[in-house]
Amino acid sequence: MAKSMELICWGGDWGLPSLHPESLTVMAYAKFSGAPLTLNLVNNSWRAPKGDVPVLTSEDTVISQPVKILDFLRKQKYNADYELSAKEGADTLAYIALLEEKLLPALLHTFWVEAENYCSVTKPWFASRIAFPLSLYLPGKMSREALNRILLTRGKPPLFSLTEVEAQIYRDAKECLNLLSKRLGTSQFFFGDMPTTLDAFVFGFLAPIYKVCFPRVQLQEHLKQLPNLCRFCDDILTCYFRLSVSGHSPSGQDTADANLQKLTQLVNKESNLIEKMDDNLRKSPQHPPRKLTMLKLAAGGEESSPLNRLSP
Amino acid sequence: AAEPWPENAALYQQLKEEQILLSDNASSLAVQAFLQMCNLPVRVVCRANAEYMSPSGKVPFIHVGNQVVSELGPIVQFVKAKGHSLSDGLDEVQKAEMKAYMELVNNMLLTAELYLQWCDDVTVEEITHPRYGSPYPWPLNRILSYQKQWEVKRKMKAIGWAGRTPKQVLDDVDQCCQALSQRLGTQPYFFNKQPTELDALVFGHLFTILTTELITDELSEKVKNYSNLTAFCRRIEQQYFEGRDKDSSATAAARPAMRSLLR
Repeated sequence: MAKSMELICWGGDWGLPSLHPESLTVMAYAKFSGAPLTLNLVNNSWRAPKGDVPVLTSEDTVISQPVKILDFLRKQKYNADYELSAKEGADTLAYIALLEEKLLPALLHTFWVEAENYCSVTKPWFASRIAFPLSLYLPGKMSREALNRILLTRGKPPLFSLTEVEAQIYRDAKECLNLLSKRLGTSQFFFGDMPTTLDAFVFGFLAPIYKVCFPRVQLQEHLKQLPNLCRFCDDILTCYFRLSVSGHSPSGQDTADANLQKLTQLVNKESNLIEKMDDNLRKSPQHPPRKLTMLKLAAGGEESSPLNRLSP
Repeated sequence: AAEPWPENAALYQQLKEEQILLSDNASSLAVQAFLQMCNLPVRVVCRANAEYMSPSGKVPFIHVGNQVVSELGPIVQFVKAKGHSLSDGLDEVQKAEMKAYMELVNNMLLTAELYLQWCDDVTVEEITHPRYGSPYPWPLNRILSYQKQWEVKRKMKAIGWAGRTPKQVLDDVDQCCQALSQRLGTQPYFFNKQPTELDALVFGHLFTILTTELITDELSEKVKNYSNLTAFCRRIEQQYFEGRDKDSSATAAARPAMRSLLR
């Protein structure tokens, strides 16, 4: 039953296998169900993504949306859900609808519509992975589509203005995160110990919010206050994607290291300055240091190396 | 502290006999069911321009005291602020489930209803256009309904439903009904023995689907496949709508009117 299946999807950064929520969902599901997929990351080649990414090609069939791709994988007997009861299957559908209605608008806004985020992070990242000259056009198109989607599903006709809608979508998203956290509780995955479709979808939506470093991060900060969701993402990354946890928030680790380094440098500089000051003081004629140093040298021997340096 | 609910609370929707469409009727019935379940009396006022009066552009909306609130979600919160709530007895996980299922109904059922009304050409020509603009003279009626159709089609395109065929949409409705049926099981209501806003929402949509005649019966057939859902609708209708002495109970009048007008 091992047909060769190839998945075209966006690549990843910041410790994630992919930055695109839908691609990430499909990748996660493939890992959970053990489906052998060869990943074809969209890069700077001329094979431009025609609209819908991720795309699964298997021999002759080409399938494009995540829900359809998951259906196809299930038909190929790669099913992560066979242990679920009927009610849990129904719950899966309901929670996926919740994610799409409440969390997705805020996710799209953070990535594609928020001006600082878009200009400094999203656009350069995506543009670097698409061939010129499409790289000039495609990120803009994706941004417009995201804005359109937010306004049409959340905005109030006939004016469709963004400012009224922004506050509401972030409120909805934070509420959605709270609900997910309550539903997850202390268990490892949403339905017991084995990950299922719902885990794939939740991971696909949460991981980009959690890991990608944006200038404006209100959603990420809210997510970090829900430790069980963060643990959920980290668990999946370490167990299924074999990425080391130390790489998980590289910027966080790096800033900590950098701070530590700066601190040690400062301390060293300070101690050097102090030594030099001591030097000057002891060399100055008013201070009768020699007796002291002689005494110390006589008594201490090797330990006090700065004092050794002091000795003329 | 429960604030007093005024006597003259009114719920506005479009004209029941000639104008209102499937999706709007479903939303309106859901709000009426919810208010009935909370024991809050409200009279239904039908106005041709209800959509334009509404603060968010969507029907139904309620006018309580000097406040106007539209759509089920904000109405539930408004009623809760007044001290009445149906979902207080649920724990956190159940509340999360309830919200998730409400989104499922909005996401799949409501969108499917909108699709079938506005993007299926036969239905649009024969039912939607005549009904939507009926209170207005020509050419205003055609202009308004084309404008609304264009709006709905834009929304469908943005969420990726534009390329779907009616058959795929009906399959989605089936999946949604299956999920609801499995969740309901053999219980009288979705959570415990008490109805919640989820029950009101599901009742609103399913009852409207069951009692509205469209070009074909496919949509109502999908719901009829699940006997516990039809029993659920009948139960809520008997409990909350049949005792009403008001001029025309929402359901009894709607059924023959819709059947005769929608052919």
